[in-house]
Amino acid sequence: MQGGPAIEARGLVKSFDGKEAVRGIDLAVPEGAIYGILGPNGAGKTTTLRMLLGIIEPDSGRRTLLGYERPLEAAKIVGYMPEERGLYPAMTTREAIAFMGALRGLPLEVGRKRAAILLEQNGLGDYVDKPIKSLSKGMAQTIQLFGTIVHKPKLVVLDEPFSGLDAINQGRLEHLIRDEAAAGTTIIFSTHVIHHAERLCERIAIIAGGKIHFEGLVAEARDRLRPQVRLRTRSAEGGWRAALPADAALIEGVWQFELPIAGVEPLLKALIDGGAGIEELSIERRGLHDAFVQIAGEAAARQMAEAARADLETAE
Amino acid sequence: MIEMLDSAWVIARRDFIASVHSRSFIFFMLTPLFVVLFSALIGFVSARSAANEVPVVAVTAESATTEALMEARGHLVALTSERAFPALRPISPAENVRVQARTLIADREANYSAVFSGTLEQPLLSGPERIDEFVGSRMALILEQAQRSEALRLAAPAIRLPSLQRDVTGEAAGNLRDVRHGVARFGQFVIFFFTLLLSTMLLSNLIEEKSNKVIEVLAAAVSLDAIFFGKLLAMLAVSLLGIALWGAMFGFATAFSVQLLPEGYELPPVSPAIGWPIYSILLLIYYTTNYMLMGSLFLGIGGQANSVREVQTLNMPITFLQMGVFVLSMVVVGARGGVLPIVAYVFPFSSPLAMIAEAGQSEKLWPHLLAIPWQALWVFLLIRISSAMFRKTVLKSGGEVQFMPRFSRRPHQS
Repeated sequence: MQGGPAIEARGLVKSFDGKEAVRGIDLAVPEGAIYGILGPNGAGKTTTLRMLLGIIEPDSGRRTLLGYERPLEAAKIVGYMPEERGLYPAMTTREAIAFMGALRGLPLEVGRKRAAILLEQNGLGDYVDKPIKSLSKGMAQTIQLFGTIVHKPKLVVLDEPFSGLDAINQGRLEHLIRDEAAAGTTIIFSTHVIHHAERLCERIAIIAGGKIHFEGLVAEARDRLRPQVRLRTRSAEGGWRAALPADAALIEGVWQFELPIAGVEPLLKALIDGGAGIEELSIERRGLHDAFVQIAGEAAARQMAEAARADLETAE
Repeated sequence: MIEMLDSAWVIARRDFIASVHSRSFIFFMLTPLFVVLFSALIGFVSARSAANEVPVVAVTAESATTEALMEARGHLVALTSERAFPALRPISPAENVRVQARTLIADREANYSAVFSGTLEQPLLSGPERIDEFVGSRMALILEQAQRSEALRLAAPAIRLPSLQRDVTGEAAGNLRDVRHGVARFGQFVIFFFTLLLSTMLLSNLIEEKSNKVIEVLAAAVSLDAIFFGKLLAMLAVSLLGIALWGAMFGFATAFSVQLLPEGYELPPVSPAIGWPIYSILLLIYYTTNYMLMGSLFLGIGGQANSVREVQTLNMPITFLQMGVFVLSMVVVGARGGVLPIVAYVFPFSSPLAMIAEAGQSEKLWPHLLAIPWQALWVFLLIRISSAMFRKTVLKSGGEVQFMPRFSRRPHQS
């Protein structure tokens, strides 16, 4: 594997009981990137990740994982944290991490040493010999993440890693993901919380209804929408009004509209010449949420927001 | 392949430690003790009820006649067993013995099956029209024995019949055959018993991984074949540990019991046809293959279950399946040709039991050299089938079901 994408998928299709869960997914995750798969619950994110990892076979389509067509052959250099966390409750944290490393070819002794270091570095040194069943949900999730990265994989796949975590643990996890990426690891994660992807990812795929609606840089997704102009004027009426686009809306005394294609300069000139009396003018680049709404639709965005809210309530 | 074995080792190691470190393992280790206690209890109860079940015949005769009958019965019982003849209970004869007999027969407290009265020359057995065939025929034998003894005593009071002389030879073929059949059945029973006791644990083995979602972590890291094989290995190791400990306890108990035997007492020579060293090795090998065959089947079936309740429901048919296989394998003991013994040797699930019986009664080694790879092949196939079924139905993974693994490891350069 030299210079190619860490993950490449072409035309992945998967049905369960005759219902298509994934309908022809294409994606390419560059090596070293933090890549987010965004979509509401039931969009096909988990099924896609499971197909990429070889846990389930696609009905059709091809995928390569770090150059391997059979994902299990790359198992030693891949880490995976599933959405439904899985740990043996009676195992100690150190043994759990070492065991997960051993599954991926790391000698147990090395795994135990690295586990102790990881726990120590993250302020969990006191929990080295504590059984998993004695930990909080967030802490157990952190242990699972350590188990995912203990063998120093080249690619880490995280399915809804922020789900069920409180704000503090979410911050800690973001930090860990950035650290791993800084060390050269490719990270791909799925999420239904847009701001995690917005903060962490260079590239994203937006998935809804089993199909990818957008795949590319986060900036490209945002740039699909014109920047938003917010304008407050002293004068309510005047010739300057003709310079505003037809879809400009006055909301609580503030005009809001997309920046005209001609740019800001003609607009400014018209406002000044028309005596609008500019009190406030801001041009804001649109957020990923707006881009998501535009790409995947209002319903998908609302579903995502509800799931994110429910997650946070559960965690707190 | 080596990677698969490495992965299986990681799984096996975890499962083995988890099993041995659990508190329930202590109870598991006590299982044979429970079995011994339970068997002893059943033996005690059935011995008691058997003793109570011997029919009783009241004897309302003069004392000379009664003594002659008691002596005859004692002689016959010494040659057979206490239960082979009805018990005799002497009762003082009344004036009208026929009336007395009816009274005794009707007595629900005494529970007599019949009443003997009269003399050896004029015997009379009173009882219902449909008298128990056992009581009737055995009383006739006792009477006949008493009459012969009496006739012999009267004819020649001083006569002494010559006793049987012994001419000691080598081991009789008939005895040897019986011993070997006994060893054959013993081997079958040992394998059957321990497999029955231990392999059903595999039914619920994947429930833990499915309920705590670890299966997803495992399936993403190692092949399902490795997971299944590792679990089989772990439980085999647990069972072998148990058997080693129980075997050691049994060995100590046997050695201790031998010390208690009277001086000069010789234990009967018991040896399998193939000899003890090879037989012991084959016993271990066939236990392993039997456990792996049954275990991979149970693991596959148990893998489809979603809850402990479903596993419990599966337990009974699985036990009957094992018993059916055991019964099939029993036909090879003492068999001389026929289709059923061949089926028992070839059918994968009965093959280990049939072959250990073969080792007990035949000195040929080559059939084992064929049988062991044959059984191992089926273990391999069953693991492949079980894991493929698990992938297809539990992980809901489509694609082709491959029974033969692919070994290529060359990365595809895209």
